[in-house]
This record gives sequence, structure tokens and C-alpha cells, in this order.
Amino acid sequence: MSKRLVINLLKWLAIFAVLIVLLFPIFWIIASSLKARGEFFTRPPVWVPANPEWLNYPDSLRRGGMKGLIDSFTIAFFSMAISVVLGAPAAYAIARFQVGKKNLAFWILSIRMFPPIATILPLFVIFRFVGLVDSYAGLVLCYTVFNLPFAIWILKGFIEELPREIEEAAKVDGATRFQIFRNIALPLTAPGLVVVALFTFIFAWNDFAYAVIFSGSNVTPLPVVIAQFAGGHEILWGQISAIALMAILPALVLATFLQKYLTRGLTMGAVK
Amino acid sequence: MVGPAVAVLFLMTIGPLLFSLVVSFTNLQFSAPQPMRWVGLDNYLTLLFNDSRFLTALGRTLGFVLAGVAVQTLFGYFIAWLLLHVNRFRAFVLGPILIPSVISSVVAGWQGRMIFNASYGPLNDVLAHLGIKGPAWLAWPQTALLSVFITDTWQWTPFLALVILAALQSQPQELLEAARLDGAHGWSMFRRITLPLVLPVAGVGILLRGVDLFKTFDLVYILTQGGPGNSSETLTFLTYLQGFKFFNPSYASAMSFIQLLLVTIMAKGYLGLVNRKGAQ
Repeated sequence: MSKRLVINLLKWLAIFAVLIVLLFPIFWIIASSLKARGEFFTRPPVWVPANPEWLNYPDSLRRGGMKGLIDSFTIAFFSMAISVVLGAPAAYAIARFQVGKKNLAFWILSIRMFPPIATILPLFVIFRFVGLVDSYAGLVLCYTVFNLPFAIWILKGFIEELPREIEEAAKVDGATRFQIFRNIALPLTAPGLVVVALFTFIFAWNDFAYAVIFSGSNVTPLPVVIAQFAGGHEILWGQISAIALMAILPALVLATFLQKYLTRGLTMGAVK
Repeated sequence: MVGPAVAVLFLMTIGPLLFSLVVSFTNLQFSAPQPMRWVGLDNYLTLLFNDSRFLTALGRTLGFVLAGVAVQTLFGYFIAWLLLHVNRFRAFVLGPILIPSVISSVVAGWQGRMIFNASYGPLNDVLAHLGIKGPAWLAWPQTALLSVFITDTWQWTPFLALVILAALQSQPQELLEAARLDGAHGWSMFRRITLPLVLPVAGVGILLRGVDLFKTFDLVYILTQGGPGNSSETLTFLTYLQGFKFFNPSYASAMSFIQLLLVTIMAKGYLGLVNRKGAQ
């Protein structure tokens, strides 16, 4: 009995150690976002700021953070919306009528494996030609390319878990295929839709590779704002940390509320 | 119903890829005024036999992938093992543990910039308390890539822990009991029962990690820009430089096709290995 207690205690100690290592950088960002200018250049470093400098937040928003938030939100939102709207019917067709199932699996895996740079380069040439560089539409299009297959794949998994009987009963009652999809399958897949919506939003929200290449003076998503700030001549530590903290908020929502579906989303549905 | 989705994907993936394949056989350059000419395999031959910077980056990236997969899987397994045996409060712990894996890599990079700061960062402060004089992490050629590695490991070990935990939980309890009754324990239990059961499930997660490590770009961009010198230059970062800084799209296209080929071969080989192990 006591031996088991000791082992349990050791395990919890180890878990706490792991938590400290994993969460320390987050703590450091929070602390840094509240430090005054001088507190970044002391030895030893200031761990907890004496007087929280709240002004870092409005200041960072004024210096491009607000534009970054709006741009990131707009792009992520539209990519999410398109992926869900186009993805749901496609997923339903694949799950129920086995349309192109084999090819889809291959396609999704290969898109996930492409080094983004392999598609970014030709896309850049094409986008420049049609005027999509530095536009919202261009980035939305880019993200939809990897969000859409993801959406189809995950939703397909959810739809396959639904019992077929209800749909068959509706069919007997004379409902059309589309009616069945819209009035029966879609409402039942609501949890799947939420999972897909949040994940596709976050993929677009977090991306840097596409954002840094296809953005310009018109469109500046949040990660690009952070990178620009961080590479500037005078590094505004406090302000960047404030923006960075705002940039991780959607991810925190994901980790908190959709824990149950995290594995599924992160592994493209390979592990349920 | 599948039509619109397929149309978008086709226009945005196969099209550009074919375009890029054609470009990789030419000498197209954005900077030079020379006329575009068909050069056949020249770009590929130069890359594979004459470009030491490319070959070094290739070796560096492969090492990065292997070390990353090994270290992150090991740590991930350890965390999963810890969590497996704590039933109560697991949900409370799992959420916070997963935070690194869902945040933007740019933010992870920014944290790295602060934490690895040689003079004012907390890491060297902690090391100083232990009596160690910490290196100038991001400014030394010996430690720049290591800093990228540590940041990546911080960010993605939780993901692997989650996947491995799911795999461990999916082991049928009866089988474990039966094996225990037959006298299996410790290492033999792990090798003969756990590993074959866990590998196919966790294998996909590990594969995705390997592919993503191969594509490491964001962290290099934010943390080191490939420097000092070329000491932390990964393959994707070098491709980016060739394409967008040196304005050499044909050469960069050839580079990205070599990467595409390598990723495909690695993934195929790995999946074959996992399936064989799993079947045994």
C-alpha cells in the first residue's frame, strides 16, 4: 500500500515537472507582455514585473496589431466557412455513396506531406500574374487547399458513425437525397462541424509560411506582424509579447473545449 | 456533391505542381534578363553533385528529422505513460499539456527568442544559478540549430504524447492480462505486446511528425534565419532563400521536387515498416 502511494506521488511530481517545463514559455510571454521597457534589460531578468505595464496592449494594437487581428480573423473565417460549406456535402457523398474514396485518401495524405514551399513557388508566379498576391482572396484560397481535404476527411469519419436507419426511413417517406443530407445528416453531424470549423480556423490563423510570402502592405496576418516586429531594428519586447498572447487565444479555446477531439483533428482522423 | 471541392483542389495543387515541374527544367530567373531556356536536368545535376550548401542542408535536415522523431517519441511516450496511470484529474492535466501543440509556430519562435536570449533570458539565468555559464544560444553556430530543435521539441512532444496515450488506451485489457499470466513483464511485455499494438496506431502520428520536421521553416525563420553562417539552414529554408531572396525559381523548383521525392520515399518506407511490425 505505502509503496504504491510513493510511486503515485513520484508520478505526480513528474507530471508537475512536465507541466512546468511546458507552460513556462507561456508564463514568460504573459509576464513579458506586462513588463516596462527597462525590465527587459536587467541581469538577472525580471521574472514578475513590479508594476504591470498594461499600456503594452493598446500600444501593440495601434502599431499594427489591430490590423493583424482583423486580417487574420477575416482570412481564417472565410477559409473555415468555405471548407465547411464545400466539405460537408462532399464528405456526405463519400461516406454514403463511396464516391472516389480511394483517391481522396491519397490526395489528402499527399497534400499534408507537400513541403509548402513546393506549391508556394508556382502559386506565387501564378498569383502575381492574376493579381492575387497581397490580397485576402489569395490567402483564403491557399488555406482552403489544405483545409478542405481535412474537412472532408474528418466529416466523413463523423458521418460514417451515424446510424443509417433514420436516413433510410426518410428515403422511404419520399425525401430527396439533398433533403436527407440537409435535414437529417447535417444536424446530426453538428459536433463534427464544430470540430472541423475550429480546426480549420486555427490552421489558417496559425500559419506562417503562406502568410509571409503572400502578404504585403495590404494584408498583414498576425504571425507576419509578429515576425516583422521581431526582425525590426528596435525590438519592442513588451508589445510583441502582447500581440503573441492575443495570437494564442483561439488555440487556448481549442485545447480547453475540444480536448476530446484533439487527437482526431491533429492526426487527420487517423487516431480516434 | 464532390465536384466543387475537387475543382478547387485540382486548380490549386496539381496545376501549380506541374507548372513548377516544367520550370525546374528551365533556367528561369527573376533577377537576370536572360531569355528562358530549356536546360533539361542541369538544375538537378548541379544540386546533387555540385552544390555543397544544398547537400549540407540536406544532411542537416535528415539528422534533424531523425533526432527529432527519436527524442520527441521518447519524451512523448514517457508523458503518455505518466498520464496512463493517473485516471483522476487526467482531463485537467491534458488540456494544459497540449497548449504548446496548438499555438502558432511564430509565437513559439518568439518565446524562443526571449528564453534563449544570452544576456537577459531566463534560461541562462537558471543555468547561472546551477553554476553553468550558458552559451549565446542563437548566436553560436554550435547551438543555433539545437535551439531550433529544443523549441520544436517543446512544441510537438505533447502532440506525440497525446497520440501515444490514445494508442496505449486502445490496447485490449484482456490481452495484457493474458500476457501477464503467461509470465510476460517489463521489457519482454513491452517488446512483444505493447509495441506491436501501439505502433500501428501511434505510427501515423509519428509519421506526420517526421514529415513536419522535414519541412521545418517557421522556427528557423523566426529564431535564426538559418544563421549564424549557414549553421541552422534547413532544406525548406534554403529553398525559400533560393526562390524568394536570390530570385532563382527554376533552381528552387528543382530543390522542392527533390524534397517531395524524399518525403514520399521516407513515408512509404516508414509505413511499410510499421505495417510489417504491426502484423508480426
